[in-house]
Amino acid sequence: MSPSLTEVQEEWQSLELEYQKLQETHKKYLQKLDEISKLQSSCSSSIARHRKRLKEVSRQVNKCTKGSSVDDAKTLADIKEKVKTQENAFSEMDAFLPKKNGLYLNLVLGNVNVTLLSKQSKFAYKDEYEKFKLYLTVILLLFSVICFFFVSYRSMDAIFNFLLVWYYCTLTIRESILITNGSRIKGWWVFHHYISAFLSGVMLTWPDGILYQTFRNQFLAYSFYQNFVQCLQYYYQSGCLYRLRALGERHNMDLTVEGFQSWMWKGLTFLLPFLFFGHFWQLFNSLSLFRMAQLPDCKEWQVRMCGLCFLILFMGNFFTTLAVVRHKMKSRNQKRKSM
Amino acid sequence: MLFSPNDLSECLREWDDLEKDYEQIQDTHRLYKQKLEEVSKLQNSCSSAIARQRKRLGELTLSLKGCKKTPLTSTLSPKEIESIAEMEESIKDKTNVFFEMEAFLPRKNGLYLTLVLGNINVTLLNKQAKFAYKDEYEKFKLVLTVILFMFSFTCRFLFSYRVLDALFNFLLVWYYCTLTIRESILISNGSRIKGWWVFHHYVSTFLSGVMLTWPDGALYQMFRNQFLSYNLYQSFVQFLQYYYQSGCLYRLRALGERHTMDLTVEGFQSWMWRGLTFLLPFLFFGHFWQLYNSMTLFRMFQLPECKEWQVLMCGCSYMVLFMGNLFTTLRVVYQKYMNNEDKSKPM
Repeated sequence: MSPSLTEVQEEWQSLELEYQKLQETHKKYLQKLDEISKLQSSCSSSIARHRKRLKEVSRQVNKCTKGSSVDDAKTLADIKEKVKTQENAFSEMDAFLPKKNGLYLNLVLGNVNVTLLSKQSKFAYKDEYEKFKLYLTVILLLFSVICFFFVSYRSMDAIFNFLLVWYYCTLTIRESILITNGSRIKGWWVFHHYISAFLSGVMLTWPDGILYQTFRNQFLAYSFYQNFVQCLQYYYQSGCLYRLRALGERHNMDLTVEGFQSWMWKGLTFLLPFLFFGHFWQLFNSLSLFRMAQLPDCKEWQVRMCGLCFLILFMGNFFTTLAVVRHKMKSRNQKRKSM
Repeated sequence: MLFSPNDLSECLREWDDLEKDYEQIQDTHRLYKQKLEEVSKLQNSCSSAIARQRKRLGELTLSLKGCKKTPLTSTLSPKEIESIAEMEESIKDKTNVFFEMEAFLPRKNGLYLTLVLGNINVTLLNKQAKFAYKDEYEKFKLVLTVILFMFSFTCRFLFSYRVLDALFNFLLVWYYCTLTIRESILISNGSRIKGWWVFHHYVSTFLSGVMLTWPDGALYQMFRNQFLSYNLYQSFVQFLQYYYQSGCLYRLRALGERHTMDLTVEGFQSWMWRGLTFLLPFLFFGHFWQLYNSMTLFRMFQLPECKEWQVLMCGCSYMVLFMGNLFTTLRVVYQKYMNNEDKSKPM
């Protein structure tokens, strides 16, 4: 039985009351938004001003320290300490204030603000980024298996390469957002995504032919191995990072990467040989391509370009990883010396 | 160099000042974080209140419908009919108000934005920021259209390398992908862009991607010049459009006749009858060029030497573009024609 008009009218009255309340809340909300945006600009400008003054004072303190008495020297050293503390505090504060996007994000997204304004949302975003990497790596793994063992069409390869280009471009976007939000990702690990995107793009344009078919299987096998190792890495790195974060030894916004980082000595050393093997495979790809470029029937520019890309990837990866190993050896030697 | 005691005392004085300043900054920042939390609570309460209201309004609408189909006992008095009509009017108004309110509340990203950006909130929280973002999007389109124009000119008349063509196609793919990302953000922020104009960017991305993979050969060389000339014309018309549309939109917005978040698009929209009718022939010519491209490609596909799948795929894409563009534009013309008919009837 349909409700009577009086019932409907009563419901209507109660809805109207709720609606009034909603309008009030929304007005208050818009007001607070306004206040917040004013606070944001005042905080940002006072921090910038203060930073400038801190620099000045540091310079003055350094000048005064030369030839000061012991007591004065202590006071000055004290000031220097406090300056450092203030600067660290400002970096923390900055993480919650909106900042202008870098060139890359500006080109792609425009001036939408990508700063996440609470610790939980930053962490959730980072978590999501890592899940994204893991899922896409598994998909790429399956795709390379299909292309290698089952289907052998240039169009399937093209789709695989497009997926790679899209994957690396999306990673670069997300990583730029993470860096804006306080993640500390070392230069090479970001740059090598741009190179990988470029490499996949060039592979995409390589027309089907004898040379392409010669290289294809090697490339697919390499992709398969690469994605397999990346899966391993992300899986074990997340676990390790989680443990280290709980022990308070790493920053919340540290990420899993495709390389070896200093904190990985605690339990992930077994990954190193896998990584080095991957790097040398890149060198092997590069040399194969350079050898192919010397053949008389090689007319495709893609061969040399891909060879160059693989070489850059090899050198960047290898030397960055080597630097981490050397650093560890040095600190171990120092420990031994001090004992 | 000897330092004077004055240097040191000055230094210490500046430092004291700085410490006081620092305390102030910390206080302001603490206040700011507090307000952030309050705002986020308000956001949640607003969002849930709106959701609740919407549900109850939905139920109420059903009840009203039930009331109108009068029960067997009595018919409704004129006063009751009036009050039902009032309530229905009010419900419609409220729905619009909710739409406006939601433009300032954070909302979950659609599938596309979630895939590309993750769960970052892309809602710009005040009117000026939204408008500035829209403005920037339109400048971006204008600048990129000019660059694409020059690039296609270079490829068509100056240099003829497959590499340069590949770069051009990559630029096209990147341009259309970026447009789709920015448009998704604009839609999250309250812009009303009709389905086809967004979807046709996805088709264009796909088309440029397929062109990218087309290997150099006799068939590619056959189609290349037609493709580049078409792009040249397309960039030129788009440039005309954006330039004149922005001006027109600006004028209409000042007159209060269009919404601030309305955008320039690559087609003809209802508001363009006021002063932009001259664009129509250019647009139709572009659409028919798409049809011509599509026919050319289908004819090439029939040739015995055609081994590339790209030919058929590009042909289909151009066909889809042509049909979507033509029918969407025709609908606008048809609607105008119907409006004119209605206007002329009572006279």
